Amino acid sequence: MELAFYPGCSLEGMAIDYSRSITAVFRDLDIELEEIEDWSCCGATAAHSLSESMAVTLPARNLAQAEKMGLDIVSPCPNCYNRLRASQIMIQKKIIDVPWEVTGKNQVHEMTRFLAAPDMLVRIADRVRKPLAGLKVVCYYGCQMVRPPRITGYTDYENPRTLDSIMTAVGATAMDWSYKTTCCGASIGIGRRDIQEFLTARLLDKARQADAEAVVTSCPLCHANLDLLQRKETQSTIPVFYFTELLRLTFDPGNASSKWFRMHITDPVPLLMKKELLR
Amino acid sequence: MTDQHVENIPSLREEGNRARKLIGDRGNHFLKQIEGETRANISACYQCFRCTNACPVSQYMDIKPHQVIRYIQFGWREALLQSSTIWVCLSCEMCTTYCPNEVQVAETINHLRNMAAHSSIAPKEKQLALFHQTFLEALRHFGRVNEFWLMGALNLKPGILKEKIRTGALTEEMALGLLLFRKGKIKLLPQRCRAMGEIRKLYRQERGEMD
Repeated sequence: MELAFYPGCSLEGMAIDYSRSITAVFRDLDIELEEIEDWSCCGATAAHSLSESMAVTLPARNLAQAEKMGLDIVSPCPNCYNRLRASQIMIQKKIIDVPWEVTGKNQVHEMTRFLAAPDMLVRIADRVRKPLAGLKVVCYYGCQMVRPPRITGYTDYENPRTLDSIMTAVGATAMDWSYKTTCCGASIGIGRRDIQEFLTARLLDKARQADAEAVVTSCPLCHANLDLLQRKETQSTIPVFYFTELLRLTFDPGNASSKWFRMHITDPVPLLMKKELLR
Repeated sequence: MTDQHVENIPSLREEGNRARKLIGDRGNHFLKQIEGETRANISACYQCFRCTNACPVSQYMDIKPHQVIRYIQFGWREALLQSSTIWVCLSCEMCTTYCPNEVQVAETINHLRNMAAHSSIAPKEKQLALFHQTFLEALRHFGRVNEFWLMGALNLKPGILKEKIRTGALTEEMALGLLLFRKGKIKLLPQRCRAMGEIRKLYRQERGEMD
């Protein structure tokens, strides 16, 4: 199986650890990821805030590039996925003109949903060599992956299950909680730290209340917000993982070492040592 | 109830005069404009407050989401474009998702943000507005966005650095930058996209330049 991979800008910068773990996980699952030839930024929140038309034309270039390659797209970043889908829908409905040859016929997959398909879950479960037994996690989806449903196509947008089923497939216990899709504040901390801290701190509190030992996410920005907020906390920190990092830990326990997680601000190593997932 | 009947009751007559004053000479021009441009069914709002109740940041807004819709119905354009609401909104789409009448609240607020950006009105949340602007500048330079370049360029915008020194945010930001750099999470320069000509053409198109 071969897919066009649209990494997005974050995966070249702050989320380089996410990027590395994705490469390893997809190699383990025998799915070939072909990076979209000379991809460009999707525009993210800034483009649609200041120019609604550029929010459609910017992602369209990447759709066009993937069509040239003749492959369906998979996007690991929920915001990129949302923008690509919004652009694809506008192009399909012929609402906007873009300067590239593009029909929007190639599917855009959101990565967690792609991996939570029944056959993929079987493939993941087959690869597990050391299950995450006894690790209690909460899965955090954020906004852009699920909302608005008419763009993302999620029907269970109030209680998405993709990450939960992936985590269950590798032996972790996914705790139930009500804050799966509550906003973390995104980039508002740049101008309004007070709002950012209020939103992110609430998520961490609720995760602790749900009796979770770690938060699992698939969004680079959510990860940064949840991880960075805890840099000054001294008492009870709660590690934040990209779900692919945990998959990699179960697929290849022999090569697991604490070096993998040195990029996290909230050190997850003590927890993993305690659970005997890391030597 | 006929108009005649309304005019005969003093309290209702006053109410009618006030409403006329509120809506002003512009009638429903602004409402029609926004409905046309966003395809959002703003007239369908019956003020059930679900958007405001779902909003994670409504306590930080000066005009609450349900009020935004009402203000549009009244045609209060300036009040909306001067509000902090349009910049504080996170586009998390809770309001749109939970609206029983499918009024696209988040998209409407986003459209107002677009209007404010292209108006002469100074944004209430200057740093947030400048952040979006700087993001698009980074994109125009490289085709991709790099966090380090973005934050540096934002700090060089007029007034930002001074404000950050005043509030002490700058020292904190530098400490955070250093921590991230040590962790290997910061890349100093972005990977440049090769098709810059195509991307810059989009920017020219946006400004109305034809070539």
